[in-house]
This record gives sequence, structure tokens and C-alpha cells, in this order.
Amino acid sequence: MTAQTLLGRAARSTERRREAITGILFVLPTVVIFGIFKFLPILGAGAMSLTDYQLNGDYTFVGADNYSRILQDDAFWQSLKVTGLYVVIFVPLIVVVSLAGAVLLHQMQRYTGLFRSLLFVPYLCSFVLAGIVWTWIFATDGPLNAALGGLGFGSVPFISGSQLLVLGSLAMVSVWKGFGYSMLIFLAGLKALPAEVHEAARIDGAGAWRTFWHITLPLLRPITLFVLIIETIVGFQVFDTIYVMTGGGPNRASHSLIYFLYDEGFKFFDFGYAAAAGVVLFVIVLLLSLVQQRTVEGRSQS
Amino acid sequence: MSVIATSSESASSTAGPGAGASSRSARPVSRERRQQRVLTAVLAVIALFTVAPLIAVVILALSPADAPTIPRSLPDSLTLDNLTEVFQVGSFPRWFLNSLIYSVVSVVIVLGTASMAAYALARKRFPGRNALLWAIVATLMVPVQATLIPTFILVSKMGGVNTVWGLILPTLANAQAVFLIRQFVRDLPDELFDAARIDGAGEWRTYVSVVLPLIRPVLATLAIFVFLWHWNDLLWPLVVGQTDEARTLTVGLATLNTETVSTSSIMAAALISFVPCLLMFVALQRHIVESITSSGVKG
Repeated sequence: MTAQTLLGRAARSTERRREAITGILFVLPTVVIFGIFKFLPILGAGAMSLTDYQLNGDYTFVGADNYSRILQDDAFWQSLKVTGLYVVIFVPLIVVVSLAGAVLLHQMQRYTGLFRSLLFVPYLCSFVLAGIVWTWIFATDGPLNAALGGLGFGSVPFISGSQLLVLGSLAMVSVWKGFGYSMLIFLAGLKALPAEVHEAARIDGAGAWRTFWHITLPLLRPITLFVLIIETIVGFQVFDTIYVMTGGGPNRASHSLIYFLYDEGFKFFDFGYAAAAGVVLFVIVLLLSLVQQRTVEGRSQS
Repeated sequence: MSVIATSSESASSTAGPGAGASSRSARPVSRERRQQRVLTAVLAVIALFTVAPLIAVVILALSPADAPTIPRSLPDSLTLDNLTEVFQVGSFPRWFLNSLIYSVVSVVIVLGTASMAAYALARKRFPGRNALLWAIVATLMVPVQATLIPTFILVSKMGGVNTVWGLILPTLANAQAVFLIRQFVRDLPDELFDAARIDGAGEWRTYVSVVLPLIRPVLATLAIFVFLWHWNDLLWPLVVGQTDEARTLTVGLATLNTETVSTSSIMAAALISFVPCLLMFVALQRHIVESITSSGVKG
């Protein structure tokens, strides 16, 4: 072995060490921030959910008590039912609306940018702003009821009536605010589809509707899955509009999971119990996205 | 059927490109034009309904306080009184300032720390690199609400409740930012880094004058989204800022909405909260569209 290769090896190993040191120095701020404010709270959520942690910091280990209590808590099941109903209304609605918007935009040859921007604008506002505007729109003496009255209908209690009506109205607000985002994702998917497939279908004499149903939609399946998952997660996290528009009412008709968690934590200061609710939320969201992925993948393989 | 159709079509096109093409394309073109006109009309109606609630906010915010709550026609006179009055009501300027600090400071620190980490994760070999990347990406699966309580307790133990820094700190751990920038840095050509090293640039210099300028598009995109997320956030600011002084604009708006405030004042406040987001969009909309569409295709 010559001195030169030995020298080369030594130089390489110093260089490698220097590279590792730079790497570590550059990730250090992120490691510290994530360690304290992400990983610690995640571990903390699991640990706290096994205690009766109180506002003053006192706690005792209670094992799985919080979880058995949550399973017997009518308020929890009510919030789960509210959230489930809301997701069942919200998700299909936003997927259909954003897909329809994307298909229309995709057909357009001019002014695409203008229309795309106009349809996207509500996404920029906060759910609080959306809630305030739609509270006004939905009010008993608001513009929507005035329009319905003009058509000869009676007044509709959009956010104070039956549970389905209230959740439907809340879902409407979220669809209005959020569809622009999913629409852009669908639009990108449509643009990425090979043009030949559609041409072949047209030559075979397939109409626009048949082409859409039998060719476009199956080809868009991966994108639809992506949108379904993100919107389901968004649906499960519904809180802001409820906080602004109904306060969980009327009579807990819109008391969602996050609202339950918020109330237990910051109204009753039952932190251990609220942490358990957080863990349950995590498990539900995780399971749902896994199930969704399985179902859609399974269908695309058959 | 289809075979006949295609063969007859190809036959006619070989017969005479000039005459054949014009007679065949004349009708489809006008039909297409008609379709486009219908489409434009349909989209115009949809766009109008989509934007209408926001137009209503603007009109109500600019209407005199005693105007009817449903404007049946445009008000006779518009006034800026509501907007100026809102700024004199209670702690509104403070809320606005809190939101601004929360959003802007978070954007700057998130982009700084995340791009540094992304550079190291994409370009440097060090022990534990892959495990770290994996751990950061895995946190994306945990909804923020699931860790709301422990995060609140942590911040309260640090004395951060009712302070703006308490509001900011937990939001600096932004996994999306790290992941997105890393993808971008990974795809930069190796030659650039070799050239920088040959030129004698140190690590910090390479990061500042080679990496940062090249990843400007992804930084611009993230700047918009992080700003919007923070500016529009409700739950976290609601639990951390419990005093009037410590509220952000969204929390303040939600509070105003439950108090007996005139429609024109609440709409004026809402309008003011919306203006920064709109300005940001107008300035940087190309980046927004690009980033959403590319994330969709990748997803």
C-alpha cells in the first residue's frame, strides 16, 4: 500500500467527518424544534391520556380509565355521530363540486386563468370569515331566505333547524370555502391524461358523457383517492365554522369531535380526558385513510 | 362501424387537403365555438355565485351603518367610516398586529430552518439521516388537534400562554416545509455543488448563495401557504391567546361575531382580515396554482 492511497483515505475520512458535522449542524435547529414541539407532545398525548391530568398540574396514573370512560360517554358518541354525518355529507359534495369545476375549466379554451382564480378565491379566506358571511346569508332575515320567500317558500332555519339541515348548511360553507384547492388538483390530473385515449373514444363514437364515465373517471382514480383522503381528514377536523356559526348547537346537533375535545380541555379543564379524545381522533383518521386507500386500490386492480 | 368511419375519413383527406379539410372543419369549428360560448356563460354564472358572498362583504363593509342588512340594490353612498371605526374599536389594531407577527415571523423562521434541514437531509450524509427524515414525515399523519392538549400544557409551562412567542413556537415544526424543500434540493444537479466546492465556497456560503436562490420557487409557494395557514388559523390561537390583548384577528373576529355588533362593522372587520390574503394571492398566484397542481399529480 503506497503512502499516497493512505493519505487519500485519510483525506476522504476527514472529508466524510466534515460532511457529517455540517449535516448535523444544519438539521440541528429543526431537530430541536421538532423534538420539543412535535415529538414531545405526541408522546405526551399518549402518556397524558393515561392520567387524570388537571389544570394545576396534579395527576395520577389511571390506566385505561379515560378510554373506557370515553366509550361510555354519550357526548362522545354524539360528537362521533355528528362528525360522521358531516363527513358523509361534506366529502361527496366537495369531490363532485371540485371535479365538475375542473372538468368545466378543462374544456375552456379562453379565460381559463381568470375563472380558475375566481373559483379559487374563497380558499384564501379563513373559516371564521366564511362562517361570518354564511351566518349572514343563512339568517332567518338573511338574503337566502329573502330569495326563497320571493319564490313563495317559507323561511328555512338553516343553522337552527334539524340536525341534517344544520350539518348540510355547515358542509355547504366548507365546500364553498375549500373546493378551489381540490379543483386545481383535479385540473392537473385532467391535463396529465393522454389525449389519444379521448380521441380514440370520440372516433369510436362515444359521447361526452360516456367518455367521461368510462374513460376519464377511471383514469383519474389515483387523484380521486388523494382528494378523498385529504377532504375526509379535513371533514373530521371541522371546528372553526361550528365555533362561529352554531357553537355546537342547536342542542348539540353540530357538536363535532374537535368541539368535544375543545370543550373537555378548555371548558371543563379535564386535560387527561381531552388528550384521550385526541388519541381517539388520531386513530380514527389513520384507520379511515388506510381503509380508503385499500378500497380504491382494490377496485382499480379488479 | 368505427373502421369504416376512419377509413372514409382518411380517404377524403387524401383526395384533396384544401377543399376536403375546409368543408369538414367548417361546421365542427362553429359548433365548438358555440359550445365554448355556452361553457363561458355557465362558468361565469358559477364564478359569480362563488364570489358573491365576498362581494357582499365588501358592499356591507362600505355601506353606512344604518343601511338595511340585505342590500336590495347598491347603497346610495359608500363610506369608509366602518373601516376606520373598526380600527378604533377595542383591541382591533392589537389583534391585527398579533396576526401579522404570528404569520410573518413563522414564515421567516419556518423557511429558514426547514431549508437548512432540507439541504442537509438531501445532500449530506450523517448518521441517523434517514431515520430523522422518516420521523419528520411520519408526524404528518398526526392531526394537530390530537396533540393540542399536551402542546398547550408545554407552552403554558414555558410561560407562553397569552404571548405571541408562545403562539409562534409550536408552529415552527412544519413537516410539509421540510419534506417539500428536500424534494426540491435533491433534484438540483450535482455539478452545481461540485462547482461551488471547486470555487472554494464553504458550506454556509453554498447554502446561502447556491441553494437558496435556486429553490426560490418552492420558498415562495411555502411562504404563501404558511402565511395563509397562520393568518387564518383559529383553534391554536384560541387556546393560547385567552386575553383580549393576546388574540389574533381570527379569534377577535369570532368574538366580535358573538357580541352585538352591527352587520356593517363585523363585515368591515372581516374585509380587513381578508385583504392581506387577497394581496398575497394577486402577487403570487402563479406559484400557488403550480404548487397545488404538482402536489396533486405526485399524490
